[in-house]
Amino acid sequence: MLLKLAWRNIFRNKRRSLITVSSIIFAVLFAVFMRSLQYGAYGNMLKNIVSSYMGYVQIHSKGFWEEKTLDNSFLLGEINQLKNQEGISYLSPRIEGFALISLSETSKPVAILGLDPALEKEHIKLDQKVIEGDYFSDNKNGLLIGKGVKEIMKLSIGDTLVFLGQGYQGSIASGAYPIVGVIDLKTPELNKRTVIMTLNQAQELFALPDMVTTAVVGINHDDWQDTQEKTAAAIDTNRLEVMNWQEMLPELKQLITVDQAGGTFVLMILYSIITFSLFGTVLMLTEERSFEYGVLIAIGMEKNKVIQVAILETILMATAGVIVGLIVAFPFVLYFNINPINLSGQMQEVVERFGFEALIPTSLDPSIAMTHAGIIFVIVLVVNIYTIVKIKSLNPIKAMRK
Amino acid sequence: MIQANNIHKTYNDGKVQVHALRGIDVEIKEGEFTAIVGPSGSGKTTLLNIIGGLDAPTLGEVHIGDTNIAQLSENELIDFRLNHIGFVFQSYNLIPVLTAKENVEFLMLLQKRDEAERNERTTKLLKAVGLEDQINKKPNEMSGGQQQRVAVARALASKPDFVLADEPTANLDSKSTANLLDIMLRLNDEENITFVFSTHDQRVIDRAKRVITVEDGKILSDETK
Repeated sequence: MLLKLAWRNIFRNKRRSLITVSSIIFAVLFAVFMRSLQYGAYGNMLKNIVSSYMGYVQIHSKGFWEEKTLDNSFLLGEINQLKNQEGISYLSPRIEGFALISLSETSKPVAILGLDPALEKEHIKLDQKVIEGDYFSDNKNGLLIGKGVKEIMKLSIGDTLVFLGQGYQGSIASGAYPIVGVIDLKTPELNKRTVIMTLNQAQELFALPDMVTTAVVGINHDDWQDTQEKTAAAIDTNRLEVMNWQEMLPELKQLITVDQAGGTFVLMILYSIITFSLFGTVLMLTEERSFEYGVLIAIGMEKNKVIQVAILETILMATAGVIVGLIVAFPFVLYFNINPINLSGQMQEVVERFGFEALIPTSLDPSIAMTHAGIIFVIVLVVNIYTIVKIKSLNPIKAMRK
Repeated sequence: MIQANNIHKTYNDGKVQVHALRGIDVEIKEGEFTAIVGPSGSGKTTLLNIIGGLDAPTLGEVHIGDTNIAQLSENELIDFRLNHIGFVFQSYNLIPVLTAKENVEFLMLLQKRDEAERNERTTKLLKAVGLEDQINKKPNEMSGGQQQRVAVARALASKPDFVLADEPTANLDSKSTANLLDIMLRLNDEENITFVFSTHDQRVIDRAKRVITVEDGKILSDETK
């Protein structure tokens, strides 16, 4: 009966109920879309930089991250025991060094990344980032150059680049390798300075037999902290260090934190508006109904039951608003996930200057929708405190006199 | 039996104290059909509210049966009203979103009576007030007289010890008033239901079996016909 009363009360003043439900729909739509866009942007950054390039967890020789010299390399055999460890799906050895590359009279300092082509193809789909030419075939000598490097140095497939740099323990690193492909690492900064070669080539170039500077730890679940801890426990941490992406890229972590705070601030404003809008409705509803509540209490309905009816009414409206809001939000979120917003003009320049791809897809993470649906419910419950207090202190005679 | 002893009620209207009741003693026995009459502001509605446990006296006590209602907590008082007192209001005050049947059934649901009993009693009461063919109509689909008859049926639904009616005919035309009085008198005669109502409607006063006249917060006369 209480539910029936609450349900029918909603249809007593259809316009007011419609305004209330509409404001909730708008709030859910806006909050879910905005948050999905924000988290989608972070997800894209993490995908491009972390999961598709650096990995969530890396192993280095102690001190390598502070001083990236090849002298801080380690023997691959030092981490052999990790291959069968729970939570680790693969170990991808890499050499990260620097050299000057030249073609004719043009030279440029670049970051050299030596990697295992087969492993990187299998796990981070590196081959799919090749936009021109071919991926490494049969581990033959060759180079993949970032598309930015190509543009700056006006290079073409088949050109042979001459390398000059410093190798392990002060040795001279020199060599000449042909360009086999151009790669788009989805991050403008990386594209401008990255040249990729096979691990064997890099070991030969830098005189690092059986040694690497980095091992990317592939994880087969979302809990990279757990993998980091277990990895650290399994290796000699006096010699090696295990770092996660937040430690390696504190600026990215900070950027996300700052941006999240901004987003949270906007959401707080939105939720304040919604809270006051809902409070206005609840205030009107309670004032309008105080006569009726007085009658119900006078004829013998306990105040708690009257409160239940009033709260049920707003909960039913909130439920309808939240469900419709989620239904309306879903196609928007899905559309912009499939067709990310492509920033152009000044915005594109600004984003790329920070080293990120100027594409913003929305996130399809259902927890975003659930979180905001939950927040709306909490707001509904909070604004109903007024109704509870009002009914609890209601004097039926005074209420009926109105 | 309702027993009100030395009832005083004083309101604070701003800085002015209003003495609505000044020492009322009244006893109403089971089966009476009593009208409390008096001009506007005489205190008749205040007396009715105090008897019904809707308002508390400044001084004095009200006993209904063996219960001193001043000693009941707020929830106990609400529960007492539900199980012992039926209310009929001047403006009917039916629940607008419920049908006639649901309005009558409402108090029985609060009393947690089973469905069969609820259905049987609702049908019986709506028949008794002549509205058996209007059971699915909502208040806004009924005339004032019909709504007040539903209100009487609702007041009786919880099997109260007595029914308090505050100016029940004030918003009704002559025909509806006569009709309502016929119903209430028949219920009083045939089922020995006690009715106490406040009124200044001469048509009601003429048909009341006992008339208590209140003026300036005091009982001026108490006549049994």
